[in-house]
Amino acid sequence: MNQLIQNLVDGLGRGSIYALLALGIAVIFGVMHLVNFAHGELITVSGYLAYWMFISGVTWYLIAPAVVICAVIVSVIIEQVAFRWVRGAADFTLLLTSFGVHFVVEALFLMYVSASVKSFNRPGWIANTFSVGSVSVEIFDMVVILVTLLVLGLTALILQRTMFGLALRAAAEDFDTARLMGVKSDRVIRGAFMLSGLLAGIAGVFWLMRAGATSPGAGTTPMLKGVLAALIGGLGSLKGAVIGGFALGLAEVLLRSNLPGSVASLTDGVVFALIAVLFIFRPQGLITVSHAERV
Amino acid sequence: MFRLFDRDVAFPLSGALLQFLVLVGGGLLYTAAVGGSAENLVTAMLIDAVMVVGLQIYIGNTGVLSFGHIGFGAIAGYAFAVLAIDPARKGTVIRNAPWGLDEVQLSPLLAAVVAVGVAVVIAVFIGLGLARSGAQSGAVSATVITLALLFVTHELAINWTDLTGGDRAGLSFSIGDTLQSRWPIYAVLLGALVLARLFAQSRSGRLAQAAREDDLAARAMGVNPQVQQMVALLFSVAIVATAACLRVYSVGNITPKFFFFDYTLLTLVMLIVGGRKGISGSLLGVVLITAGREITRRLGTTGYEFFGLGLDGTIANVVFREGLSDIFLGLAMLGFMILRPSGLLDDWEVDQWLFRRFGRGDDTRPEPLPETVNIEPGTLKATDLSVDFGGFRALTSASLDARSGEIVGLIGPNGAGKTTLVNVITGMVQPTEGHFGINDRDLTSAEPYVLARSGIVRTFQNLRLFSSLTVRENVEVAARVAEVHRADRVRPGVDALIAEAGLWEHRDRRASELDYGNSRRLELARAAAMSPQFLLLDEPTSGMSDAESDEMIEQVRHMAATIGAGVLVIDHDLNFITGISDRIYALDQGRIIAVGTPEEIQANPMVQSAYLGSAAPA
Repeated sequence: MNQLIQNLVDGLGRGSIYALLALGIAVIFGVMHLVNFAHGELITVSGYLAYWMFISGVTWYLIAPAVVICAVIVSVIIEQVAFRWVRGAADFTLLLTSFGVHFVVEALFLMYVSASVKSFNRPGWIANTFSVGSVSVEIFDMVVILVTLLVLGLTALILQRTMFGLALRAAAEDFDTARLMGVKSDRVIRGAFMLSGLLAGIAGVFWLMRAGATSPGAGTTPMLKGVLAALIGGLGSLKGAVIGGFALGLAEVLLRSNLPGSVASLTDGVVFALIAVLFIFRPQGLITVSHAERV
Repeated sequence: MFRLFDRDVAFPLSGALLQFLVLVGGGLLYTAAVGGSAENLVTAMLIDAVMVVGLQIYIGNTGVLSFGHIGFGAIAGYAFAVLAIDPARKGTVIRNAPWGLDEVQLSPLLAAVVAVGVAVVIAVFIGLGLARSGAQSGAVSATVITLALLFVTHELAINWTDLTGGDRAGLSFSIGDTLQSRWPIYAVLLGALVLARLFAQSRSGRLAQAAREDDLAARAMGVNPQVQQMVALLFSVAIVATAACLRVYSVGNITPKFFFFDYTLLTLVMLIVGGRKGISGSLLGVVLITAGREITRRLGTTGYEFFGLGLDGTIANVVFREGLSDIFLGLAMLGFMILRPSGLLDDWEVDQWLFRRFGRGDDTRPEPLPETVNIEPGTLKATDLSVDFGGFRALTSASLDARSGEIVGLIGPNGAGKTTLVNVITGMVQPTEGHFGINDRDLTSAEPYVLARSGIVRTFQNLRLFSSLTVRENVEVAARVAEVHRADRVRPGVDALIAEAGLWEHRDRRASELDYGNSRRLELARAAAMSPQFLLLDEPTSGMSDAESDEMIEQVRHMAATIGAGVLVIDHDLNFITGISDRIYALDQGRIIAVGTPEEIQANPMVQSAYLGSAAPA
């Protein structure tokens, strides 16, 4: 029982990060129909910023906001440099464009920094636990969960209450109609990339705090988790992305602690295979967004 | 007959041979010019060419972006290594291999056959999964399923150390046991090229391409894309797996990263740069990327001294450094997707170009089609069809019937439910209530492609042609389906239909290049090539001038008469419908409000009020 509670907290902690990443991916999918396989690069780039600040002796309290700002800026830059040129292109082109960005950013760091892993210290409190009865819980997990809930709440508020949120939701529903109704596509898309970068930045802070390192390929894992979570939830559904993130986090932790020893090291593979099976039977994800094609 | 054989068999075979000779000859010339140091580069290029041809068969023809093909390569590569490496050497790395595999040794040929077999068997299951997920061009779910295969094989390669030797050691052949001659590579390359070219021109290949261009339209023409995708996948995986065995055999070892992201990226970039839809383009990509990588690799390591360029200074130092070849690949992918997503050559094929210049056989305008072949009596009958779209009732117990040889009009203002009715009868929307069928055969819950094969074929209001196929190929797709599934019917010839539709001069142009009126006529010809018993035309004259509409009336009449079909035609243009129909149903707000001859309908006060609103006498 205690084990289960610990697993749940651990799973929700991971799931929070995935949910933030997935939400950012779903927001962009909404306005551009693009599955952003370059989303993890926001974490790669800000990871190097974090490393550089760390070796310059800056504390995490300053690194954290810098990471978030950096992710927002990089997100907008990537949109301007790459994605804006393929707006409205075929799905095949969009998919490969985002993979292209992923590979280019990775190669840039290989070329100009180094292939080796750059480590930095995690914050001191990260491994601390506190006990409730006989259950001991990581403070870090609780912080991640609480901050994520706060951020999700604020995002929901922005989406529900502001003109930008309305435009974004309208665009996600039907981009062409939204444009006809006077939604400025440039502004909405840039806004979507900023929001997406912001969410990735917050997720990135947690990711980097836990990893304590970065490398040219560091963005690949968070990218995959985010994309998978967004897909599990049903691309285009913002609510689905968040649910998908938490579901993925819980599934990982529960599988890891319950798989027999010889297979436990294959957890990521097993999770991936399970997701593939999910898509075989529900290619539209858990939450169905009706995008019926007009014929 | 000669002509089709030439186009689809003789010229593609010669094309494959030509491509083979150019690639191999070019490699030999380059080796002769540069010296022995180029041998490995050329060998690698030839093997990559096989790999890319394998990828092309699936990705090029179906449009489904697979990230998993290199995963099939990993499976075959490991199977090959485990079976072909001599036991003495294996014993040191994988002493505890399952099923006593550490003591097995097969000849390289036999090992490759088994390895390819294993990969193909796994491909059957993956293919079934992809089919179940409804894979189509650009589908994300298909990309993720294949990506999962790549990751799972990678994780297995790392963790199943008893079989794979794990992350560090991997499996390696004894020195001297590796591939010493290029002949096996030549043989496989030629075989792969022949297979790829023949497949692209085959019935299966064409139907897969049709579904790539427009999945829904292909289904409406009786194509079951999942079947064609499976055929493409199996051929494709067989070639990729063979290439993987060659790669392991020629390099002499295999580790988990040997067939992973890097190689996936390399082969995908090769595929898209030249043009993924054709073999000529794919091979051009292989050559360009191999050359580009080699140049950037050398520039990266030896810097500005390379080629005696004599560049120096900051810019040279910034650009010419290690990692240049990695960024070259990434930029090539990104640049082509942004600037030229269909690649340098797109779907251009050298053999088809030669065929258009030198192909023999008759290519003269065919005789007009004879009017009225024997009409097979039949009735399309729909009873009490209702459709609910989440609370919105688009159709309320609509019933209609149409007989062969008859032209029935369906009219109503926008939003009356006309298209919904056609969508139901062609299987694209499931009715909430009611049923329909031909004669006594109930077809209510049949798939669109089953309905098309049963004789109900439609056109689309918003034009759905197979846009990168030519006019003739568009009609051929339907004709090739009809050949098998409507074999008992009198089927008009492809050329005759094209001429009938007034498209003879445009027969070799891409459908995407046609103007609006011609596109509409092509849709009609394509649907007629299915030799349907009932032809459903969804606003065939929308966007046409009055003169064009009148011409269309004649064309529809004549085509229907030649194939002996009944026609159900939808429009909101009262003049067009009354001009063409024998009988008319009027629809308003999802209900059928009147039925009768054109004169009766024109005189009907309810129809007038539906059309003219309050201005009409009530």
